Amino acid sequence: MNNKFYIIGILFLSLGFFACDDELNDLEPFTEAEPSAFLTTPQNFEIVMNGVYRQLWLYYSDPGSGLQGIPDIISDNVILAQTGRRSNADYYDLRYVASTLRAIPLYWSEAYEAINGANLIIENISNIDGTTEQDNILGQALAARAWAHFDLARIYGQIPTQSAGANGTLGAVYLKAEDGDTGSTIEDALAEPARETIASNYEEIIEDLERASTLISEDSNGEGTLNKNGVEALLSRVYLYNGEYQKVIDAANKVTASLATAEELPDVYIDNTNAGVVIELSINTSSQSRGNNVGVLYSQSSRGETVSEYVMDFDFFNSIDATDVRKSVLQFVGINDDIEYNAIKKFLGEEGQTNGLVDVKVLRMAEVILNKAEAQFELGLEADALASLNELREVRYSPYVAGTETGVALEDAIQFERRVELAYEGHRFFDLKRRGEGINRNATNGDIIDGTGTPPTEATLPAGNFRFQFPIPIGEINANSTIAKQQNPGY
Amino acid sequence: MKVHYYKLLMLFFFICSVSFAQEKDISGTVTDDKGLPLPGVNVLIKNTSKGTQTDFDGNYVISANRGAVISFSYVGFTTNDVVVGDNTTINIKLAASAAELEEVVVTAYGVSRKSSVTSAISTVGSEDLQDFVPSTSIDNILQGQAAGVQVTASNGRPGNTAFVQIRGVGSLNASTTPLYVIDGVPIPITDNDPTRSLNPLSNLNPNDIESLSILKDAASVSKYGSRGANGVVLITTKKGKKGDAKIKFTSSYGFGQRIADPFDLMNAEQKLEIERQYAELGVAVATRLPGATSSPQELRDLIALDTDWEEELLRKSVIQSNSLSISGANDKINYFFSLGYNKDTGIIDRIDGFERITARLNTSYQAKDWLGIDTNISFARSTTDLPRDRNNVQNPFRGVYDYNPYEPLFSRDANGGILLDSQGNPVYNPTSTSFPIARALQTETDSTRDFLIIGNVAANLTLSDKFSNRFSVGLVSNRLNRTRRSIQGGVLQGFVGDSQFPGTQTENAAIDFEYNIANLFSYNDTFNDVHNISASFLLEYNENIRTDLFVNARGFPSPDIPYIEVAAEPTRAGSEEDRRILFSQAIFADYDYDGRYIASFSVRRDGSSKFGPDNKYGTFASGSVAWNIAKESFMDSSFFNDLKLRASYGTSGNQNIPDFQYLPALGFENSYNGFSAGSPLRAANPLIQWESQAILDIGVEFGFFNNRINGVVDYFKKNSKDLLLNRPISFTVGDEDNGIFQNIGEVENSGVEFSLNADVIRTENFTWSLGGNLTILDTKVKKLINGQDIVRGTFGNIILREGENINSYYLVEYAGVNPANGAPQYVDLDGNITETYSDSFQKIQKGKTPIADLQGGFFTSLKYKGFGIRGDFVYRGGNYILNSQRQQGEAIGNINRNLRTDAFNYWKEPGDTNVLPSPLFRTTADQAGTTRFLEKGDFIRLRTLTLDYNMPRKFLDVIKLDALRFFVTGQNIWTITDYNGDPEIGIGSAESGEQGDAGFVPGEFSLFSYPQVKSYTFGVEVGF
Repeated sequence: MNNKFYIIGILFLSLGFFACDDELNDLEPFTEAEPSAFLTTPQNFEIVMNGVYRQLWLYYSDPGSGLQGIPDIISDNVILAQTGRRSNADYYDLRYVASTLRAIPLYWSEAYEAINGANLIIENISNIDGTTEQDNILGQALAARAWAHFDLARIYGQIPTQSAGANGTLGAVYLKAEDGDTGSTIEDALAEPARETIASNYEEIIEDLERASTLISEDSNGEGTLNKNGVEALLSRVYLYNGEYQKVIDAANKVTASLATAEELPDVYIDNTNAGVVIELSINTSSQSRGNNVGVLYSQSSRGETVSEYVMDFDFFNSIDATDVRKSVLQFVGINDDIEYNAIKKFLGEEGQTNGLVDVKVLRMAEVILNKAEAQFELGLEADALASLNELREVRYSPYVAGTETGVALEDAIQFERRVELAYEGHRFFDLKRRGEGINRNATNGDIIDGTGTPPTEATLPAGNFRFQFPIPIGEINANSTIAKQQNPGY
Repeated sequence: MKVHYYKLLMLFFFICSVSFAQEKDISGTVTDDKGLPLPGVNVLIKNTSKGTQTDFDGNYVISANRGAVISFSYVGFTTNDVVVGDNTTINIKLAASAAELEEVVVTAYGVSRKSSVTSAISTVGSEDLQDFVPSTSIDNILQGQAAGVQVTASNGRPGNTAFVQIRGVGSLNASTTPLYVIDGVPIPITDNDPTRSLNPLSNLNPNDIESLSILKDAASVSKYGSRGANGVVLITTKKGKKGDAKIKFTSSYGFGQRIADPFDLMNAEQKLEIERQYAELGVAVATRLPGATSSPQELRDLIALDTDWEEELLRKSVIQSNSLSISGANDKINYFFSLGYNKDTGIIDRIDGFERITARLNTSYQAKDWLGIDTNISFARSTTDLPRDRNNVQNPFRGVYDYNPYEPLFSRDANGGILLDSQGNPVYNPTSTSFPIARALQTETDSTRDFLIIGNVAANLTLSDKFSNRFSVGLVSNRLNRTRRSIQGGVLQGFVGDSQFPGTQTENAAIDFEYNIANLFSYNDTFNDVHNISASFLLEYNENIRTDLFVNARGFPSPDIPYIEVAAEPTRAGSEEDRRILFSQAIFADYDYDGRYIASFSVRRDGSSKFGPDNKYGTFASGSVAWNIAKESFMDSSFFNDLKLRASYGTSGNQNIPDFQYLPALGFENSYNGFSAGSPLRAANPLIQWESQAILDIGVEFGFFNNRINGVVDYFKKNSKDLLLNRPISFTVGDEDNGIFQNIGEVENSGVEFSLNADVIRTENFTWSLGGNLTILDTKVKKLINGQDIVRGTFGNIILREGENINSYYLVEYAGVNPANGAPQYVDLDGNITETYSDSFQKIQKGKTPIADLQGGFFTSLKYKGFGIRGDFVYRGGNYILNSQRQQGEAIGNINRNLRTDAFNYWKEPGDTNVLPSPLFRTTADQAGTTRFLEKGDFIRLRTLTLDYNMPRKFLDVIKLDALRFFVTGQNIWTITDYNGDPEIGIGSAESGEQGDAGFVPGEFSLFSYPQVKSYTFGVEVGF
């Protein structure tokens, strides 16, 4: 046996191992994907766009704190049912602080995840240069980015019309891939950006939406997505919040959808029809039986009983006329522990269900009309405003008698119809806020169906109170030393 | 596998052994130079494969022909050859041999003579393992056996593993479990992700194990590079000993039961009385309870029911074990074959516990003078029933404490008779919890089946007397099947089921596969008789692949067909794969001068797929020196047999972190509106790398009085830095968890380890030996993110703060009951006593942590003639446990559940002291995260006590057996502790927090996890 031969042989064998470097470097994630490597085909862009919609859906539909319900819970539309689980009591009782869990960190976190997804699309959109889908995808991403930023700005900041100085106060951080705000280096991950002013936020929101409207498809992109109608409808809302009333009217006029009729309206809330729905965040209940059940914000059923968390405010319920078809869309008699309540019917579930698993109605044609009516009124076009309002009332009252209000009565009528039409869809708090009004709950009425029971602990929130702006969540304050110096006043 | 098979086997071997005994029998006694009997001496007939060993009295019998040469050999003694003459009795006195005294120690990538080892290694031999219940897993057995090794049983569930930490807590977020290597094959253990957990240790048969070497200092762990930071446990399985086939059969049978609590639960009468008292005080809930609402007659009926829920829900477990081994060797071949069967039914009635079958064959074959081939292969199959382990009504152990004693197991009808269902079966009482757990155990089942293969093949080439090469391929493969069912008509179906789709079932199949290819090229040389040099070059490639598949379905035609094939529809399904690769190169070098001055050096470079291009490779190095003082000429006349000073320093790493953290990622786990959706998952840290560690170790080893007293003292300082911490990042980055893993943290563990063994008395008929070890440990957090505290623990009751101990408790300080009004009082942040409670009063409890400051074990063993008794104790001190279980048993809000009798001792009138708060202060009194429930965890426990009897040779001769041993073992039969419960706590509540869950800290609190069990087993061991 020749030792040298063997030794050389062994060394040779050993050298074979050096090829292992390739194995080491070539390993890639299995169930995940690196964004820039994945975003190469229109189909893959659509998958990431779905992810963006999903992020929006996550914070709108959250069963504990969805944006579909919290703005009603903080307002005068509901009263806490004593036999419920007292969920969201910190919000209802208006005592939230930066460390309060659920809604406050949820919106801030999930909206920025949606924005991150949208920015990944915008950043990589040139990968599908020349494809027919490119503009439509880019349009959706820009619109979704604007939408999420708009939610952040109206939740955590003032609304431009809310007060004289609102535009100079702090809103959200507006993140745009085009400006180099995003990236995948360690510096990007550790960035501590500053909040920008409300004026600047709204400027960028509108800029993104206006650009989106030139790119996005006029046809539907499928249920639960944005198209040109959606963008224009969103613009009508954003302009209203920004006090640009003529633009509200112009945008509203570009929305081609029609109102849900009185017959269709009940079916809208059990997802039998999408009549009058311009933007929704959808759930496919057959494949997503474990998805967020948004209706749990208001109630859940347990062994035949309706465990309501929040029920209709007694005064509000009684202010709705018996001829109003919306009365039965809004209310049913919920019984828990043998006590009857004006339980909230919207979002109970699809037909025959009480699981709370339904699509989130983000923006309906009715709102577009109401936005327009309000803008017309603000511009002094009372006749136009009344006509717009009657357009809605015609399909909501049976029998219908055309309204004839003018002046303050007309303004009140617009706001009343808005409150009833959009009740429990996440508007009331923002409507009070943007109009500079306070929250005035009836301090003596209780939660039970006849107005008895326990009245609210906190009956009022005066206009201008700091709680109209949510605090920046403690998690952001701890991680971002810049924003730590920019917490909203009062917190 | 049934016992009667063994009986057949035994019979068969009886016949064989009779036929062996046809030649002339030679017998005698082997003693050492002082005339003391030597047990275990190899007695071989030269040039044959025939051989035996002396029994514990030093006696042997062997059949041999006249003229044959009998060779007597024993470690540490000179081998003696005797030619068989006319005498049938040959008594031999063996002389101690300086050269052969050398014990051999299994070390990193090889074996070494004990005297030339320069690093801190603890070893545990098979004789220390044999007294443990064989279904216990290896890591549990390590408890108290070796200095510096902290072992805490996860809980008492049969087949569960333990938390093993070597020299303190070396990481904050990555796994702290040591690397286990069995016969050179690294065992993959995944415990940093509860959804992918894998721990094959419970499927090793302890009877197969020859020795365990625990590598603790840098000089040895550094050789394992990026996997060595938590220490390394080398497991060596048995080999055949030269001589004829030896057949050993062991069988044992025993019972286990819950260790009794040091407190009482209320009986029906007491419970009803406290309900009455609470109601009288105006506690609203109590006013609706039977104690307040029942008539005297109803009360008498309820009291008559008096249910002992422990009796109804738990049982005595049956612990059974059978094992068979056949081993032997000659000049060419060496073999060890074994079969094992273990069963532990567990103490929960109505479900099965743990059952395991193992098989192993180890062989080595000298194919040519220069070529040896080794094959070790083992299979294990086990099944485990998993009860729910969470703090709610689904947990049977909570049920034992929770269910009211006036509620019976079965529902009663109006006349007090047992209610029957339509099939005539008694109806389980849902009780006031609405959850009949005795029934749920049968309808909501969860069981796992594991099939484990561990194998390795190796070729050893002796190239010359200086060069050699070992090439080996090892693999570990585990297939896990898990079935979770909720059958139609079952308890949970009543809550969450869909009546149109009765019954749900989830099937999980996961295959873990890891292979390891290693080539070790070695060189040994000696110059001028005194300069001994050896060097090795290692190449190693290790790849781990895990695939996972699950499907969930609903709608079963019958609860008796547990297959998804028949389900109405699948509801969810998924599959995934993980893979990681480690590629390593290393050089190890040792030098010694005349066995007196020794130096070792190692350097290893690891490349890991877990890290980004910038940090793909890491280099780990160590150096160590030792001085064998005992070998110096000036020590010739000293009483020291061994005296060695050694020191080592080096680095190692911990790469047990999640994969691909260096890449940004999109996740696709969720769909949107039924369509695929990709969402940003995490922000990338391209700079991520392993956690690194540096250990300094200085040690002294000594042995004197003919090594009858020997011991080791080690000082160590282990600095772990670049620890991965999840740094909170701005939400605006838009990743899923608003954090990024960064190599920031730093902790230090330092301590002293002592171990000492002594043969106090050693005479012909009587020996007494004792030994033990002690580890004193100090931990410190050195660096966190920007110096900010990290609050962790399952319920946020633990804090990391720079300069303080690792995992200090973070609790609200309890200031007792206000004697004036019975209100519980707390200390606010300004130090004022207040009757209000707020989570914001939490503050660090300096020096109080779940980590023991000192711990270890000791044993004592007495042998008189054939009788032996050995007790192994473990102890621990200086740690604290949050007794959440006591909180539950005293909670005012739990008045609708059973309580401890202590609950009667509440404040009743002004001036009462040493009492529980008045029931009127439920909200402030029922707070768990306060120092009121923080208790010292010190204990001493008699881990095992074994009585055995070895049949003397003269009787064995009659029944033609080689050995016969009877034994009785008690485990956990005696404990001293002040803790109000069982102090041996790993997991507090598995589904709230276990290995891999964020912030989980072992031993933090107790909350109805599977309790420890005490057991008694009786067994017999037969050798042919």
